[in-house]
Amino acid sequence: MKSIMAISASILALAFTACNSNSSKQTNNADSTQTQAVAATVTVATNNTNPADGILTGYLDLKNSLAADNGNDAAKNGQEILDALSKFDASALTPEQKKVFLSLVGDIKENSEHIHENGDKIEHQREHFEMLSKDITDLVKSVGTNKTLYLDSCPMYDKGNGTWLSESKKIKNPYLGIKMDTCGVIKETIKN
Amino acid sequence: MNRIKKILLVLLIAFIAIQFVRPVRNTNGQVLPTGISKAVSVPGNVHAILQTACYDCHSNNTTYPWYNYVQPVAWILANHIKNGKKELNFSEFGSYPKRKQQSKLKAIADQVKDGDMPLYSYTLIHKNARLTKKENSVIINWAQNEKDSLDKINP
Repeated sequence: MKSIMAISASILALAFTACNSNSSKQTNNADSTQTQAVAATVTVATNNTNPADGILTGYLDLKNSLAADNGNDAAKNGQEILDALSKFDASALTPEQKKVFLSLVGDIKENSEHIHENGDKIEHQREHFEMLSKDITDLVKSVGTNKTLYLDSCPMYDKGNGTWLSESKKIKNPYLGIKMDTCGVIKETIKN
Repeated sequence: MNRIKKILLVLLIAFIAIQFVRPVRNTNGQVLPTGISKAVSVPGNVHAILQTACYDCHSNNTTYPWYNYVQPVAWILANHIKNGKKELNFSEFGSYPKRKQQSKLKAIADQVKDGDMPLYSYTLIHKNARLTKKENSVIINWAQNEKDSLDKINP
């Protein structure tokens, strides 16, 4: 009889914890963007770096992983961007730059999360990479960068809407991967 | 034998007990000012498809099946709906930042194109949510066109 009691108690306990964990998780989600914004203002920028450097590094790593058809590395790079985003120093920005950053931060986060969570679905990662590329391009154009960057596009992917940023002049296509890695043209050169 | 009976009895009691722990229903009934139709144009045929195939998990109004009255099914459904709304909520689409609206429209087109949405586990039971080829292309074209027009306003 004792063991029966224990079983029923544990079933009920399980049931209640299932409900509780759901509700607490929900509040976490709602708050996460806010807490991140607060945390971002704490770090201090040094002179020779740009606030978007970390995000940009993660993004360029991601681009190279996708060009190499490596979804697992791409997933790790997604996390790299998320980490950099949480350390992003928004205090160094002008009000205008801050506005741009705030309009992009949610989308960057969401696209990076999807890329991080879909290491086994590289085509899905690429769909989000396309949106992320647009976000990062706008961020870099607003906030600036010490690097010289090339905005590339490939007419063979999503009707030419698939653009990406590259640190080198050499085309390495992150959308089509190894089988078509030289497809693309430089549309724009971005430098400070 | 007696022992098995006792266990079954306890399980039955537990089953009855959990029937009283119900999640809040996801029904609002109103068209909110943040609904998608306030942000982009949603023609009637598109709206009809969205309503039958998407809104159960991606809006503030779920049409519940009868078995939602049985626990623990309602918890499982509530969890699905919570996750679905986190990814995309048509009832709150209008309050998304512009960039997110554009991304979500693209994601809608991509997910339908890839056959990832509506979820197989959902269409298994909701036969009317299985999209025909034509319905698929209606959604894909609509999402792409609306994204393109948002791109023009907000490059």
